[in-house]
Amino acid sequence: MGFNRACVIRMPDTAHQIICRCEDVTEEEVLRAIAQGAVTADEVKRLTRAGMGHCQGRTCRRLVNQLLARRLGQRPADQKPVTQRSPLQPVSLKVLADSNQ
Amino acid sequence: MANTSDIIIIGGGIAGTATGYYLAKAGLQVALFDKGFLCSGSTGRCIGGVRQQFTSESSIKLMMRSVELFAGMDEELGTEVHWHPGGYLFLAHDEQKKQAFLDNIRIQQAAGLKDVRWVDAAEAREIVPLLDTAGLLGGSYCPTDGQAYPFAVVNGYAQMIRKLGGRVHAFSEVGGIISAGGAATGIRLASGEEHHAPVVVNCAGPWAAEVGALAGIEVPVEAERHEALITEGVEYLGIPMLVDYRADGGYFQQFRHNGQFIGCYSPSPRVPGHSAGSTFEFLTDMPRRMLKLVPALAEVKVVRQWAGSYEVTPDGNPVLDRTELAGFYVLGGMCGHGFMLGPAMGQAMAAFVRSGAKEPPYPEFALRRQFGRAEAMK
Ligand SMILES: Cc1cc2nc3c(=O)[nH]c(=O)nc-3n(C[C@H](O)[C@H](O)[C@H](O)COP(=O)(O)OP(=O)(O)OC[C@H]3O[C@@H](n4cnc5c(N)ncnc54)[C@H](O)[C@@H]3O)c2cc1C
Ligand code: FES
Repeated sequence: MGFNRACVIRMPDTAHQIICRCEDVTEEEVLRAIAQGAVTADEVKRLTRAGMGHCQGRTCRRLVNQLLARRLGQRPADQKPVTQRSPLQPVSLKVLADSNQ
Repeated sequence: MANTSDIIIIGGGIAGTATGYYLAKAGLQVALFDKGFLCSGSTGRCIGGVRQQFTSESSIKLMMRSVELFAGMDEELGTEVHWHPGGYLFLAHDEQKKQAFLDNIRIQQAAGLKDVRWVDAAEAREIVPLLDTAGLLGGSYCPTDGQAYPFAVVNGYAQMIRKLGGRVHAFSEVGGIISAGGAATGIRLASGEEHHAPVVVNCAGPWAAEVGALAGIEVPVEAERHEALITEGVEYLGIPMLVDYRADGGYFQQFRHNGQFIGCYSPSPRVPGHSAGSTFEFLTDMPRRMLKLVPALAEVKVVRQWAGSYEVTPDGNPVLDRTELAGFYVLGGMCGHGFMLGPAMGQAMAAFVRSGAKEPPYPEFALRRQFGRAEAMK
């Protein structure tokens, strides 16, 4: 039996670019996190959830880093990589449970 | 002087930010330091469960206070912390557990927690229609227990500390405690920078022993590794936190605000030390344990796993006290209940610091107590 994916429909104002599609995080929210003192993508992730979605940040990580670079004058080379967590692709509980010896 | 404040707090998890908030609210100038980002310790790795079902009167009452604080937190902090009283159901699959739960329920009721009750297997199935009740005798159920979102709570407190004129320093590791004439006078960061205050509070969670040692103070807190995982969000199914104490049981719940299931289990044997390494064993065993209880979740996908330090004391109770070094306090060792206890304990810590009292408010949480009977509902 399957369940509907929860979709939190928060239609952003068209002026507000979506940065993280999986978690519906807008540019404005990321900029607010930076204004609150976030200086790394890891902190932006904890403050806004950008990067915590289905794709685990594969889509939004670069955009978050660009915003950090733009706002704080960081050089891409100096930016800390976000912690990568397994599984790299979402896997169903059943498939995982069946892999348990 | 810019580097002088009334209170220095070491640790930007729930303990440090809650304590800091209540002190700032009382008009004190707070400076808080974390070696990483806020929530980089245990708090950002916990599963967000909040329950009042404990076995000692103090803990039950503190948790009833915490639940009140969580319920009023959106308004108090001006942010959304996703408090939701989704309940906790502790499952009993044998007579011994059932008897223990019945005894606990009596203690909890006597302490004023009227909402908790024993439910038999049929009622458990009514509460959680998807629950596999094979072998289930019943459970201890409290519908006013619940959940909140740890990052939002900690960030809400931190924002209020700033708003009230305090300072929150991330990526600032405390490398030394400065003292003069037998009293703490401040801290030295690993960078060498000094900050001064007549009160320094150790809220370093699983690192409370290491931070205590900076001042030569022994704090009986040890760290062990616990792992957790989270699924994608699906429609909210109203499943309370399920707690299964059997050897291959676990704890999991569904967040109301985004439909994600989040869960963990206590590793056996324990894995001492600070390690954030995740294992394939957990990634496959936790789903097996979850599906044993709620088979209908089979197709729900896991999106992330992680591990973190979990703090333990010899008796499973926290430490809230002053130390042998005047002005140096400690709030830690909350043993896997720190997120839920944090708001009430932070408030109690702030009141204790402000009172200047010699004796801590809860003798059973004293730093130099006899470590005796353990908290049974871990
Ligand atoms: C998998 C898991 C699941 C859990 N589930 C729950 C749950 O459902 N409900 C619940 O209530 N609890 C739960 N817990 C326990 C809970 O997470 C902890 O009890 C709680 O977060 C402790 O909060 P704290 O503020 O004391 O510590 P922490 O959140 O660890 O904060 C301490 C901070 O101190 C900082 N620090 C350390 N040393 C220094 C230094 N030298 N200088 C500066 N900063 C320093 C660290 O970086 C850290 O951020 C769980 C824990 C784990 C691991
Ligand atoms: S786009 Fe941000 S997590 Fe997928």
